[in-house]
Amino acid sequence: MIRLENLNITLPGFNLSDINLSIGENEFFILMGPTGAGKTVLLEAIAGLVPVKSGKIIIGERDITTLPPEKRGVSIVYQDYALFPHLTVLENITYGLRFHRMEKAQAEKRLNRLLDLVNLSRLQQRLPANLSGGEKQRVALARALMVNPAVLLLDEPLSALDPGFREEVRSALKRLHQSSSSTFLMVTHDFAEALSLAGRAAVMNNGRIEQIGHVTELFEKPSSPFVADFVGMKNLFKASFSGTHAMASGLRVEIGRSVDPSSHYLAIRPEDIVLSREKFSSSMRNNFSGTVVKITNQGFYYEIDVGVEDISFKSLVTKGALIELGLEEASPVYVSFKASAVHIF
Amino acid sequence: MKREPFFWITISCGLVIMAFIILPLIEMMTAPSLAMLKATIKDKDVLRSIWLSIYAAGLASLISFSLGTPLAYLLARSDFRGKRLVEGIIDLPIVIPHPVVGIAILGVAGKNHWIGQLLGELGIRIMGSVTGIVIVLTFVGMPFYLNSAKNGFEAISPRLEKVSRSLGASMFSTFLRITFPLAWRSMLIGIIMCCARAISEFGAVIVIAYHPMVASVMIYERFEAYGLKYSQPVAVCLVSICLALFLILRILTGGKTREA
Amino acid sequence: MRMWSWSGFSSCSRGGCRWLRYVMPALLLLSPFNKSLGEISGNIVVFHAGSLTIPFAKMEGKFEARYPGVDILREAAGSRKCARKITDLKKPCDIMASADFTVIDQMLIPKYADWNIRFSTNRLVLCYTEKSKYANQINSQNWYEILSKKGVVWGHADPNADPCGYRSLMVLQLAEMYYRKPGLYQRLIDNRPRENIRPKSVELIVLLQTGNMDYAWEYRSVAVQHELKFVELPDHINLGNYRYDDFYRQAVVEVTGEEPGITIKKKGKSCTYGVTLLKDAPNREAAIFFLRYMLDPQGGLKILQEMGQPPFIPSRVPTAEMKALLPAELQPLVAVKN
Repeated sequence: MIRLENLNITLPGFNLSDINLSIGENEFFILMGPTGAGKTVLLEAIAGLVPVKSGKIIIGERDITTLPPEKRGVSIVYQDYALFPHLTVLENITYGLRFHRMEKAQAEKRLNRLLDLVNLSRLQQRLPANLSGGEKQRVALARALMVNPAVLLLDEPLSALDPGFREEVRSALKRLHQSSSSTFLMVTHDFAEALSLAGRAAVMNNGRIEQIGHVTELFEKPSSPFVADFVGMKNLFKASFSGTHAMASGLRVEIGRSVDPSSHYLAIRPEDIVLSREKFSSSMRNNFSGTVVKITNQGFYYEIDVGVEDISFKSLVTKGALIELGLEEASPVYVSFKASAVHIF
Repeated sequence: MKREPFFWITISCGLVIMAFIILPLIEMMTAPSLAMLKATIKDKDVLRSIWLSIYAAGLASLISFSLGTPLAYLLARSDFRGKRLVEGIIDLPIVIPHPVVGIAILGVAGKNHWIGQLLGELGIRIMGSVTGIVIVLTFVGMPFYLNSAKNGFEAISPRLEKVSRSLGASMFSTFLRITFPLAWRSMLIGIIMCCARAISEFGAVIVIAYHPMVASVMIYERFEAYGLKYSQPVAVCLVSICLALFLILRILTGGKTREA
Repeated sequence: MRMWSWSGFSSCSRGGCRWLRYVMPALLLLSPFNKSLGEISGNIVVFHAGSLTIPFAKMEGKFEARYPGVDILREAAGSRKCARKITDLKKPCDIMASADFTVIDQMLIPKYADWNIRFSTNRLVLCYTEKSKYANQINSQNWYEILSKKGVVWGHADPNADPCGYRSLMVLQLAEMYYRKPGLYQRLIDNRPRENIRPKSVELIVLLQTGNMDYAWEYRSVAVQHELKFVELPDHINLGNYRYDDFYRQAVVEVTGEEPGITIKKKGKSCTYGVTLLKDAPNREAAIFFLRYMLDPQGGLKILQEMGQPPFIPSRVPTAEMKALLPAELQPLVAVKN
C-alpha cells in the first residue's frame, strides 16, 4: 500500500503542494486530471525519478522517500512503452531479474504466467521494432510485473494506442491486476477509462488533489466545479439557494430537497436533460422553453446547446433522436430534467 | 521527366565540392613515382613517424573517450546553470589557432608555472616528448569526441533509463546495459573524428615537439630539407594508411543495426 | 621625348655624347613612370631570416608610414627554408634577406637572382633567463662546463633549416679548439638530445621564456631584442669578427643537400647577412625603393645598429662585376669589398 504525506515537489514548470494520499494494498487506484496537472510528476516522484522537496512516501511499512529508484520496488510503465530497442521481447521482460533475487524455477513460472496473461508467448524473440502498439504495451506491462513490484505505476498507458488496441490492453490490465498482488496506480486524463477500470480515484488540478473517492462517487458527487467539469457534468451554474429551489441567473430550478444555503453551484449531467418539441407533462419538475443555439457532432452522439433565457444547457442526443426531433439551429425546444438530477455543491 | 532547376543546382554544387576536394589530392597522390614511394616506405624514419602519429592520436582518442564520456553524459542528461558556458568552453579548442594551443600548453609545462614545476619534479617531460604530443592531441581532439558522444546520448530517450532503474538497475548498470549499447555508434564515430583530427594536427604539435617527429612534422621537415619532391611521398603514405584505417572503422560502424 | 630616339643613342656610342649617360637617368627620374614623389604602391613580399624579424618589423612600419600605398608582407623562416620556398614552391617573392649570404649564393644565384648584397654581421651568444639552471653561476669561462652537466636542458636550431643551427655547432667545435679541450664537442652534443632542436632559432626563445629550456644558442641581436640574459663569448669562437675567419674555417658541419643522402659541408665563417632582389620580383619598383631605404645608413641600417646587429656601412658586394648588376638606385649605397 502507498501513503503520501504532505508531499511537496518543486520543479521548473511544476509545483505540487501538500499531496496527501492513501492507497490500499492491491488496489487499482486512478489518478486523473487535465494535462499539466502534475500527474506524471507525482508518479515519477513515487518511483524516485524526481526529487521531493518535503514530505514522505511510504510503501508498505517502508519510508522510501530517500531511497534511489532501484531500491524502491516500484515499476513504471510509460505511455510510449519505453521498450529497450536492442533487446528482444523476452530479454525486455526478464531484464529486471538480474537485479532481483528470485529462484530460477519461480522466475520461470512467473514468466510463463505473465506471457500467458498478456498473450505474448509466440512473440518472445521479436524485437520491439516489429511489434504493434498494443503488443508493445503488453510487453511493457509484463516487464514491469516480472519483478513482482509492490507498486506498479502506469502513466497513461492507453493514450498512445489506436482505439482498436485500447480494449486489448485494458482487458490485459484487468487480468494482470486480478492475478497480481501489486498495487496499481494509473494516471489518465480520460474519465471513461477510469470508469471502466473502477476502484478509487483522485482528481488533480494545478499540483493539488481536488477530490478523492470511489470513481462513481466522483462521477455523481463532484465536490467542486472543476471536478464536476472534469467528470463531464457540463451544465454547471452558479446559483443561490433557498428552501427547495435555486435561482441560477434568473432561472428558478426545482431541487426537491432542502439544501445547505451555503452551497454555491448546481450541476446537471447532459444525459439527464431531455429535449422535446412540445411541452409535455411528466414527473420532471423542471421544464423550460428555449432555443437551439448550437449543434455539435461528437461522432456517436450530438451535443446540443440550448439557450434558456440567460443560461445555456448542454444536452446529448443520438442521431436518431436528432432527426426525429427535427432540431436545427434556432429551433424552439423544451428542456426538462428531474429535480433529483440536479447536483449541488 | 523534366528535372527542376533546383535539382541541377544541387548536383552542380555537389560536383564542384567533390572536385574541390579530390583534384588537389589526386595531384598530390600521383605526383611521386613508384620508385620514390617504395623508397619512402622502406625508410625507417618515415615509418617511425607515421607510427608515432597513429599511436599518439590513438592514445589521445582513448583518453578523450575515458575522460569525456562522463562529461558528455552529464551534458546530455542534465540542465544546470552555466551549462551553455561549459559547452562553449568545450568548443574553444576548435576555435583557437593551433600554434596558440601549443604555446598555451608550453606555458603551463615549463618551470615558470607550478604545474610545470610539479611535473619536473615527477620527472615528466612535456616539451619534446611523446607525453607532450599526446597532451596536445587530446586538447585539440577532445571537443570532437565530446560533441559526438553527447549527441548520441541525447538521442536516447531518458525514459529508457528511468524504466531500467525502476526495474532495479543502478545508474552504472543502466549505463552499461542500456545507454552504452544504444549509443556506442556515436561514441565510435566521436573516437574516429578525434583520431582523424589528432593525426592531422601540425601547428600545435610542432610548437611542443619537433623531435620526436610525428608524420605531419616530418612532411614539413622533408620539404624544408629536400623540397616538395621528397615530402610528397611521405604525405601519400600517411594519407593512404589513414584512409585504410578509417575505412575499416567505418565498415565496422555500419554493421548490423539492432535499434528500433 | 625626342632625346630618347635611336638617333640620339647611336651617336652616343662614338663617345661624343657621354653626357647622355648622365642625362638619361635624370630623364628617367622625370618620366611619368618615376615614383620618387611617393607614388609607389602595392605589396612587397619579403622572405627573411628569423633573426631579422624585429628589425624588419620596425623598418616595415617606418617605410609604410612614408609610403601609405605600400603593404610589406614579410615571411620569416630559416634562411634555407626561405630559399626553398622560392626554388621549390615557386612562391612569388620580391626580396630575400638571409642570415647567411652563402645561402643566396648557393641556392638562388644564378637562376633566381643576380646579385647578393652583404649588409650586416652578427655573432652568436648563449641565451638564458634568470630561471635557468645555474643562471647565477654561468659566465664566459665556465659555460661549456654547465652545458655538459646532466639535467641542463639546452638546444639550438636545426642545422639543416637555419644557419643559426649550424653556426651553433661551429661555435662548439671552435670552443673545443680554443679552450684546448679534446672531446668537448662530442661531450656537449651528447648532452643535447634531438628533442632540443627546433627548426627556427627564434622558436627557442619561447622555450626559454616558459621555462622549458635552460640555455639556447642565438644571435646577439635576437637576445638583445628579446631582453634575454646572455653569455658573451671570445671573438675567436663567436663567429662575429671577420678577422678571425681563418680560425673559423676550421669548423665544419655537414648539412643536408639537394637530395636525401647528399650532404653539403659548411665551413665556419663570420656571420654575414645577405639580401637580394629576385629576378621575377612581382613588384620590382616598390622593392627597389624598399632596398634603398633598408640599405640607407640613416634608414634600415640605423635600425639594425640600434637593435644590436652591427651593419656594414656601406653595404658591400664582393666584386665590381656584381656591383654593375645592381639597379641604379642602389649603386650609391653599395661598395665593393670582399
